[in-house]
Amino acid sequence: MTAEHNIRLAAARLPALLMLATITAASAETSTATTEAWGFLRPQLYGDRQIDIADQAAVSLEAPATTPDPSATPLTIRFGEAAIGHIKQLRVIIDNNPSPLASTFDFAGAARVAEIGLRVRIDRWTSVRVIAETTDGQLEMRSAWINAAGGCSAPPTGGGGNGALGDIRFRNTPDGKSLQVAIRHPNNSGFQIDPLSGNPIPAHFISHIRFSAKGQTLMEVDAGISLSENPTIRIASDATLPEPVSIEVTDSQDAHFNASWHGPATGSETISDAAVGNR
Amino acid sequence: MIRSRLACAIIALGAGTIVPANASPKSATGPQDFTLEQIAPGVFVHFGRPLPLDAPGHDDIANIGFIVGDRCVAVIDTGGSVRIGRALHAALTGRTRKPVCYVVNTHVHVDHLLGDLAFKDGHASFIGHSALPAAIVRSRLYFLTQYAADLDQPPSAEQIVVPDRTVTQTLELDLGHRLLRLHAWPTAHTDCDLTVLDEKTGTLWTGDLLFRERLPALDGDLGGWLNSIEELAREPVKRAVPGHGPLATDLAAALQPERRYLRALREDVQREFDGGESLQEAIDHAAQSEKSHWLLWDSTHPRNVTRLYQQLEWQ
Repeated sequence: MTAEHNIRLAAARLPALLMLATITAASAETSTATTEAWGFLRPQLYGDRQIDIADQAAVSLEAPATTPDPSATPLTIRFGEAAIGHIKQLRVIIDNNPSPLASTFDFAGAARVAEIGLRVRIDRWTSVRVIAETTDGQLEMRSAWINAAGGCSAPPTGGGGNGALGDIRFRNTPDGKSLQVAIRHPNNSGFQIDPLSGNPIPAHFISHIRFSAKGQTLMEVDAGISLSENPTIRIASDATLPEPVSIEVTDSQDAHFNASWHGPATGSETISDAAVGNR
Repeated sequence: MIRSRLACAIIALGAGTIVPANASPKSATGPQDFTLEQIAPGVFVHFGRPLPLDAPGHDDIANIGFIVGDRCVAVIDTGGSVRIGRALHAALTGRTRKPVCYVVNTHVHVDHLLGDLAFKDGHASFIGHSALPAAIVRSRLYFLTQYAADLDQPPSAEQIVVPDRTVTQTLELDLGHRLLRLHAWPTAHTDCDLTVLDEKTGTLWTGDLLFRERLPALDGDLGGWLNSIEELAREPVKRAVPGHGPLATDLAAALQPERRYLRALREDVQREFDGGESLQEAIDHAAQSEKSHWLLWDSTHPRNVTRLYQQLEWQ
């Protein structure tokens, strides 16, 4: 179990504390958001290291002020030209969620990642912050407020359509620079109730995703219950992504799902061993 | 913020006289300005207000009302809170001494059914689509947590009434020389849409299969909804009570803006999706030409796009 897992679990054990967290207004000079939850998390994640407010041109966060869907709120993080290739790690933190550390992206040295997109659960009105660590060890933060209610306890939708647990679907833009990966998985938060039986649904979530391009690791993602049902992650580069892109997914029950993307020419022909992926 | 502007917006009510609810002792618990309009002989409608679901007054956004027969009364939707349900009940008892024998819910959304409790007297039968009981059970916890203030305190699951009678295809209700035809639809706006036709006056209650002025909210299946619009447009009715917005005297014409929006939504989200654009880009770009035609665009359109986009991902 990683340190981040420990922090996530520690935070999950303190819902009362987090529920009581009151939100203080953003400081006008820095446009940072401060919440009690963040005051609790910050030393655990970053100690007393300095965290700068990122120049919008270097790191930006796009998030809806009021989410269209609390259980599937789109977040887009973009890196400016100067930052591409110089980001070591990106953390996405949703202060007032029961498990605030939504995900950690660790980028391989040469990864030229220009954009990361993900969909998250937002439990209630919160500050969302993204913190990028540069290859020379600087911490750069952007944040946004999102108004929402009930994203963690929203009942499972089943997602509609087709797909078995662990099915992985890829979709790219015609220029080959961005790729969206969608994983069929309930990603149960542990705060949902089975509407029929009235019983709590145990947490069951995707815990890790490794992205590789042409056999080289591109990024590793530690994730948790804040990702939406059927988690989707979008990655964009400033250049065409080398093929094949391989995805290795592990969930909290230690099931493994893998798939590969062989490019637009054979785009629909993804090889997924999800059906046999369970252990 | 759009909300404050809409709070001041005036609803264009349909033809007819607006009559304040009779001042019975019960109306003291309801809003003072609860209006009731007789849109056809024996057909009474309270027109909801164009507010978002998270604004004060959000419990009074749906069109609700009742139809009076020789024997008894059928209530069609009850509003978004027990308070609104009681206001409707008070308005009803000011209009007729006949008992309520049926309470029909057109679908599972809070703004149409949280007032049901006000009519639960042991006599009235609660009627809905055959998929409504499951939909209520599925959503009940969410209603209890997100709409707790709209129920009696303390909120409890029992306050959300599950129908005792359901409609698989069609059902006729006799109010005494007055026949209502209930029709259960395949998944469209939701998976439990029910329409009510009052044969005597040719009045169709469409539930949320028809939105007017307020942007249609998709919680079911877009293709199914467009199909039901085609069918509804052929109904030879004299007037239609939409789920939201003013009375329609030409149903086919009233369905046109909704059909136009839903088609644009379908085409544009599909195009964004096929082009590999992200959900956020689809939200930003899809059906923008429709924006100026509708109320509550900012709170409803992004959700419609999100829902549709996610459906496409697993088609």
